[in-house]
Amino acid sequence: MQALARERLENAGIDVTGALERFMGNGVLLERFLKKFLSDPNYEKLAAAVDAGDQENALTAAHTLKGVCGNLGMTELFDLTAKQVAAFRAGRWEDAIRFMPNISLAYGRVIDGIKGLE
Amino acid sequence: MRENPQSPRVPSEVSTILIIDDDEINRGILNHLFCMDYAIEEAENGKQGLEAVFQNRHRICAVLLDVVMPEMSGLEVLRRLKEAGVLEHIPVFLITSEVDAAIRQGYELGAMDVISKPIVPYLVQRRVHSVVELFQARRELKYRVERQEEELLKKTREILELNQGMIESLSAAIEFRNEESGGHVRRIHDITAALLLETDFCPGLTEDEIENIALAAIMHDVGKIAIPDCVLSKPGRLTPDEFETMKTHTIQGGELLERIPQLQHHGAYRYAWDIARHHHERWDGNGYPDRLKGDAITPWAQAVSIADVYDALSCKRVYKDALPREKALEMIRSGQCGIFNPKLLDCFFEVEPRLAPLYRH
Repeated sequence: MQALARERLENAGIDVTGALERFMGNGVLLERFLKKFLSDPNYEKLAAAVDAGDQENALTAAHTLKGVCGNLGMTELFDLTAKQVAAFRAGRWEDAIRFMPNISLAYGRVIDGIKGLE
Repeated sequence: MRENPQSPRVPSEVSTILIIDDDEINRGILNHLFCMDYAIEEAENGKQGLEAVFQNRHRICAVLLDVVMPEMSGLEVLRRLKEAGVLEHIPVFLITSEVDAAIRQGYELGAMDVISKPIVPYLVQRRVHSVVELFQARRELKYRVERQEEELLKKTREILELNQGMIESLSAAIEFRNEESGGHVRRIHDITAALLLETDFCPGLTEDEIENIALAAIMHDVGKIAIPDCVLSKPGRLTPDEFETMKTHTIQGGELLERIPQLQHHGAYRYAWDIARHHHERWDGNGYPDRLKGDAITPWAQAVSIADVYDALSCKRVYKDALPREKALEMIRSGQCGIFNPKLLDCFFEVEPRLAPLYRH
């Protein structure tokens, strides 16, 4: 992976070194999966469920988003969603949705960083 | 849905890893980790995953199962697989970002291992590989044992057949001296078996025991090998002395069998000895050599005694012609060949219509 691309991703909150390890050092593959993240529906599902007050779907979407972020090395987004999932699990809805603005910001940065690859 | 024990799989056919995860990216990552060493199948929710397992259960060597999924959760999939007895044959790895209750529940439901997300590739590969290899080794061992069992069973059958063949040949050789065909021993075998299997003359015998008795019946006259030709093959009536000599074939038969050590371990031995010695005893105590009476004569010795008489009457012998069926039955009924147990007579006449075709020429 080119240094520039790496830097861009690091700045977007992605732990490239950790993620690369998960892809056996294969940068092309990592990029391919990062681009797939652009069409991953779980952030939208989460936002919609939070707006609708749908606790069950909010938890499911946050949970899946957390898993994907973890695998793709999106450390910041992973930490935020992990905290949110814990709050949802504990039944603390108000606390959980308070993470939404930060999650949206982190999500936006990750998306921008990946889009910048092209 | 249970594994069919009759059809062991060739172990090398079992080489597909099934990935059940609702997220495409997660599936892709796992797929990439294993696609060099295994065939990969993917399912995008619990329901599909469960169907995929049941459709391909003989090809799947491991299942990687996400916990939180729409349609059906990973834990529910696990529960169903356990119910269907699949977990004994296919290791299931739960892949989860949970760290708490779900992991414990997963283990309790029979998950082979729980792998936490985000995954560490090297560790996932190592853990899955080792378990798959373990199951593979176990399958190969089972496969080999089943093959060997089949082989052993086949050999056992061959040995049993050879045994019976040798016993028949020996007995037939003795009959030949008597200028009778080897058919006599075969018929005694069949008549004895029919009496014990098809009537309730001696209920409580298992089929294995009856087979041993019928085999033993073949050897009822081995003692005749010790009877001189001049007596054994004398065309006319025997003198009282000659008849005494002839009668010793019962005692000599028992003694001969006693001298075959290999036979003594055979299930047929105790029957063979008894039948050889006592197949000329009669219900009223007027038989020989021990003049046993009534129930002192074992049911198998009784069965062979009537079979022997019936066969002798129905066939031509050096000293007589074959009798017509009606005449033979009349002689047995009226006690002209010695007195038989009344119950044995009832059973014999019940089964006789099915025996008569043995003597159609």
